[in-house]
Amino acid sequence: MSRKRALIADTFCLKRRRCAADSLTGETHDGATDIRSSIQYLMTLFSRKLFNDTLPPVVLKHQLYSLHTDKTSVDKHVNDLRENGELLMFQLGFDSEAFALVFAEDYRAKVLQEEAGRKTLGTAEKFLDKLIPGCSDLSFNKDKMLKEFLFSDSEITQLVKSGLLTVRDAGSWWLSIPNSGRFIKYFIKGRKAVLNMVKKSKYSEILRTELEERRTTAQVKFQMKYHVHDIIGADLVECIQTTSGTVLRYVDGNN
Amino acid sequence: MLGFLYARQTGLDDPVRLRRAESTRRVLSLELNHNRDVDRIHGNGINTLDIEVIDGRYMLSGGSDGVIVIYDLENNSKKPQYTCKAICTVGRSSRHVHKFSVETVQWYPHDTGMFVSSSFDKTMKVWDAETLKPADEFQFDGNVYCHHMSPIARKHSLVAVGTKDPKVQLCDLKSGSRIHILQGHRGEILSVRWSPRYEHILATASTDSRVRIWDVRRASGSLFTLDQHNGDKSKASSEAVNTAHNGRVNGLCFTADGLHLLTTGTDDRMRLWNSGTGENTLVNYGKVVNESRKGLKFTVSRGCSPEFVFVPCGSSVAVYGLHSGELITMLRGHYNNVDCCEFHPDYQELYSGGKDCNILAWVPVLRQPDVDDEETNTKRGGTQAAINPAFADAWSSDED
Repeated sequence: MSRKRALIADTFCLKRRRCAADSLTGETHDGATDIRSSIQYLMTLFSRKLFNDTLPPVVLKHQLYSLHTDKTSVDKHVNDLRENGELLMFQLGFDSEAFALVFAEDYRAKVLQEEAGRKTLGTAEKFLDKLIPGCSDLSFNKDKMLKEFLFSDSEITQLVKSGLLTVRDAGSWWLSIPNSGRFIKYFIKGRKAVLNMVKKSKYSEILRTELEERRTTAQVKFQMKYHVHDIIGADLVECIQTTSGTVLRYVDGNN
Repeated sequence: MLGFLYARQTGLDDPVRLRRAESTRRVLSLELNHNRDVDRIHGNGINTLDIEVIDGRYMLSGGSDGVIVIYDLENNSKKPQYTCKAICTVGRSSRHVHKFSVETVQWYPHDTGMFVSSSFDKTMKVWDAETLKPADEFQFDGNVYCHHMSPIARKHSLVAVGTKDPKVQLCDLKSGSRIHILQGHRGEILSVRWSPRYEHILATASTDSRVRIWDVRRASGSLFTLDQHNGDKSKASSEAVNTAHNGRVNGLCFTADGLHLLTTGTDDRMRLWNSGTGENTLVNYGKVVNESRKGLKFTVSRGCSPEFVFVPCGSSVAVYGLHSGELITMLRGHYNNVDCCEFHPDYQELYSGGKDCNILAWVPVLRQPDVDDEETNTKRGGTQAAINPAFADAWSSDED
């Protein structure tokens, strides 16, 4: 009932909303920093030691949906950060809607750290210089690489070998994170394991706090909170507010 | 509310503003009402509903058993308890009834003397509403998934038909023949919709994941295809370039002003497009569960601000804010999948029909009397009682 009252009150508080809108505009300026701080918080949940520090901290875009209610504004701010060159977005491949976000400085540092001492260092640096300030694409095709970026075929092969590009199609490549194969494997396994935990609970639902405190099984390599943000943001579970907190209920019809 | 009325009365506000605010309040308070009921005639699921545009009084429904029913929505009895009666039906005993499930029904946009129904028995029938006999019948080669007549057309009386064939057929009601074919899709056409703004603009959605916008006056192909990535070829995998959804597109709905188009697809997404440029406005509605193999019929509110989208999601109807993308509420009440919903713009009511053979009417909750008025009354009474009769003025009146 209180929810219904809240809905009605909104429309007729137009006057009040107008005054509050001034304070809200202050918030929208900080909207981008708000998203950035959420991304930084989610990155602290990422387990670096798992990959022996070869991978920069990776966050998935839909994890942000679990922290902020307005998905459209989250998308908009993420795109703003990408235009500024602070954030890089990657298509992970296991789901057409799952995008990974990495801070540009972290990415550059890790790539150079990996490439140090190898012959491909020069090519990698050239690619990073072209990529980070200007380009916010997720994939590149041959024309672009050859003509715009002035790479040669052998250099493209080197980039694929060092993991910066992944094959998408004949003559086009996705931008990718080097050594991300293990990340994706652990991530998918962990997600399935956490979803099974929710499914096996009585009535297929569990309190969020209880789930976060459960011991992680051998399948789950990341922190529970990281996976919980993921399954909420990807709408794989339904969030229900109760008097004891948030309850996560398994949604049927997931593939 | 009183503030709005006063502002309208004195001319401070536009007259539309009060109407919009009240419509929005009513839509936000939609609820199942135990006083309002719709006659249960269908023996099988209900696939489609249509409320006539002129009076908003009569509603058509088409069911999976081929039965078509006309209901009277107006409450002429003086009692609040009202069942929308079925005035007439084209039942299984009628000679002209459709053999298989009726997928789409639509009233003739200009009067209620005629309606058109299309069905999986590969025919589309134009019915005379008085005699309930088909005045005309169009035969097709494949199952007819949907059809639509333009609600504003004055210069033409074309019905766009989407069938299993990738070619969109245009049938003319005046001559009774199939005069035009629109080529371009590569899969079955699941939904067709005329624009409510321009009478020559048509949108079609197909299983090949594409939505095309056509101008029927042009001899060449479609005007443009809707692209979910807005031309950013890097985001999609190579097969998914230039598609509206990552799966079958099975629902189309224009907003009331015709400036925006909503599409739903089996990739569980709903997208809002600018219908003039074909640009994806990138409003994120989240996961809109969609498992329908045929077309999905959903609707947008009219006359409110902000507008709302009512989408059948499983066994409930989800209400989203049109431009914000947030889920306002889920209307639960059906026992099985909901297939169609229709919004009554004059009364801000929603009618939804589904596989459980019920049509539910969602009616706005009446406003509760203000708690403030009661409090001030008791307060005033209290202070009057508190005055000592010795100090009460006998020569001055209490009320001015």
